[in-house]
Amino acid sequence: MSLTGQLRYHFMKDIGAPALMGLQNITKKKRIRKPDPLFAPPLECTARLKEIMTRHYYLARFVPGAKPVAWVTSGAPVELLRSFGFYTIYPENHGSLVGAKKQGANMCAIAEGAGYSPDLCSYARIDLAHTLSGKTPAGRLPKPDILFAANNICQTIVYWFKAIAHHYDIPLILLDTPFNYSAINDGDIKYMVAQLQEMIPVLEQAAKKKFNYAEFQEIIGRARDTSLAWSDVLATMKNRPAPMTIFETFFHLAPIVSLRGLPVTYDYYQILLEELQQRVRQGIGAVTNERKRLMWDNIAIWYKVRDHSVQFAEQGMNFVTATYTNAWAETTVYMDVNNPFESMAKTYSLVILNNNLDYRLRLMERLIKEYQVDGLVIHSARSCKPYSVGQYDIKRKLRERLGIPAVVIDGDITDARAYSEEQTRTRLEAFFETMGD
Amino acid sequence: MTTSDTRRDYLQNQKSSGRKLLGVFPAQFPRELLWAFNILPVEIWDPPVEIAQANAHLQPYICSIVRGGLELILQGKSSLVDGYLFPHTCDSLQNLASIVNDHLDTGKPCFFFYHPKAVDGQPAREFYRNQLTQLIDRLEQHFGSINIERLQECIQTSRRLYSQLNELFNLRKQGLLQITNSDFYATLRRSEFLWPTDYISELELLLTQKCVKPLPSRAVVLSGILPNPPEILSLLDQHKIRIAADDLLNGQRRMTFLPTNANDPLEAITDAYFAQPPCSTKDSAIAERLKHLQKLTVDSKSKGVIFNIIKFCEPELFDLPQLRAGLRSTGIPSLVIETEINQVLSGQIVTRLEAFLEMIGD
Repeated sequence: MSLTGQLRYHFMKDIGAPALMGLQNITKKKRIRKPDPLFAPPLECTARLKEIMTRHYYLARFVPGAKPVAWVTSGAPVELLRSFGFYTIYPENHGSLVGAKKQGANMCAIAEGAGYSPDLCSYARIDLAHTLSGKTPAGRLPKPDILFAANNICQTIVYWFKAIAHHYDIPLILLDTPFNYSAINDGDIKYMVAQLQEMIPVLEQAAKKKFNYAEFQEIIGRARDTSLAWSDVLATMKNRPAPMTIFETFFHLAPIVSLRGLPVTYDYYQILLEELQQRVRQGIGAVTNERKRLMWDNIAIWYKVRDHSVQFAEQGMNFVTATYTNAWAETTVYMDVNNPFESMAKTYSLVILNNNLDYRLRLMERLIKEYQVDGLVIHSARSCKPYSVGQYDIKRKLRERLGIPAVVIDGDITDARAYSEEQTRTRLEAFFETMGD
Repeated sequence: MTTSDTRRDYLQNQKSSGRKLLGVFPAQFPRELLWAFNILPVEIWDPPVEIAQANAHLQPYICSIVRGGLELILQGKSSLVDGYLFPHTCDSLQNLASIVNDHLDTGKPCFFFYHPKAVDGQPAREFYRNQLTQLIDRLEQHFGSINIERLQECIQTSRRLYSQLNELFNLRKQGLLQITNSDFYATLRRSEFLWPTDYISELELLLTQKCVKPLPSRAVVLSGILPNPPEILSLLDQHKIRIAADDLLNGQRRMTFLPTNANDPLEAITDAYFAQPPCSTKDSAIAERLKHLQKLTVDSKSKGVIFNIIKFCEPELFDLPQLRAGLRSTGIPSLVIETEINQVLSGQIVTRLEAFLEMIGD
């Protein structure tokens, strides 16, 4: 790390970025939004969310030379990296951002031009496209010094990160989390703990910083508290009417995914929670006419979030829970500052996608009951096989056990070419009819 | 046993002789352990079934190996087996295992085997060993106790078997085996369901095809999962092209490594696993796979590499562009064809293959 690089980064962090953002706020034309009768007014803290994420991507430009950079998977134990001061970039979060800006198909086409099959995960294709061409609507992402991955969310992510590692000729550090066909056992935990401990000297070398156990414990504690706050945020949606829609949580999820373990994330969820609790006290529902409550399964269809939000709200339907958003809250209970390595092994290997389908079925049953869900919308995402394979059986079982109506939407997380407007509309119309009154 | 016996007849005879059968999905599993339980592993890669019922469980974007395996179970065509073993190979096979275990009422036990990914070193070795112990424990619950002396014998059998396979691959490499690609791989694939001693007899027969002078034929390396559809092999035969080495998941990637002479049988099996060549399903680094492919090509004096990819196979598809670029940079041409396991070769693929064979010339 160079002194100039560090000075430049800290200048931008402490003076440049706040000044620039302040200026943007002053000069930005205030759009006066017409109140939408379908929805409550937007959450006030959304502005803060945008500021946090914009600042994160903006500052990333000034990181090279100042801090070691890691590209990280959403399920990797980032707390370990935080203790070494890595600046972390989440390609999956970047992919969702590209998808939400409806640029997914264009970016995927770049990767396909370089020989990557259109059948591959579109987050991966977007990231490979960015790596190969430098293009991204997010400005500029810093080149990684290391890649940090866990295969608890899928095996695909490792194939993808292997390709990035080969391109940049940098190390890929992997936490191999054995899939839980049944209950986790001591051998699995021992294996993961040993891997985590073996990472320390590698990270010390990459970051040129000694591991500080006390600091690591503090980070673990903060990550746990943040995850608990996120869990509380989601729990507000158990209220009728729910103060937020799941489509909003897809965006408010960004800090817990990308900035987990940092104080800014904990602080943000306190603000969000307070605003939601205020709404609950006032009886404000995110969807003004919340007639039916739904559950979403799988990652969002990023380029359709707004359309779906309106389409369902028009029917008086609000999504109040999702297996996806719940993933960053479900295993918090295992985080233990006094036993950080073992607790990290459990926290990260017990997440939904690293568990068998029976576990997933039971989790969904619990969420359906706790959130008083009337219907289920399943996104069968071409990009995400571990999330999608098994959905048909889960749909059938939930119908048998709870009598819950469900619909499957075929699509993709960011590649709009895999989404059929017509087919989806037909299916949703049938679903709306089934839901009736 | 003759090569004309059908697979089903053979399995029926094995079953009648008192042997247990286990349906095993791709790809990496410790076969010696199963033999020691007097269990015959019957591998399920490309059953000849028409897909109908599997579509109620799997999306259209799932590969034909997973789809075919599930269809086999749903149609009741795996009734002979006493259980299923699912190695952890990829996302789709992982979830298929869970569909079968959690959602289908097959009435047969399911066993799982997770092998470490992209990691080596002591924790991975200890974990692998622990997986072997856990598999033994679970098998013992259904099939009685394992006999360690018997396991030692099975390891010796395995060593004989893999030595012969190595010899055969060496002869193929040098063009000293008078046998077509089709016949060679047809015999190799009988390892997927033959008892090892029966298989050894067939390999001995194959070794008699050894010739003294190399046969005139151009050579290629075949990479991918399976040598399917078989028409690829016949097409290469027609053009007098010899597959001199392969990088197939159900071929040389898992066939040529002998358990060591370690006193502890589990250690011997562990040694063999960690000595295997790089593989996409074990998350091997692309640089390692590239180096391995380059070596296979050079050592076998092959003119190029054919990547035969099963549609939707993510582990293979992700590695392809960089493997091809790496081969190209060292002057090794390559071709990619994408196929379904039981699909007839399309005219377009035949044309592309022929053009490639013409291009690699003499």
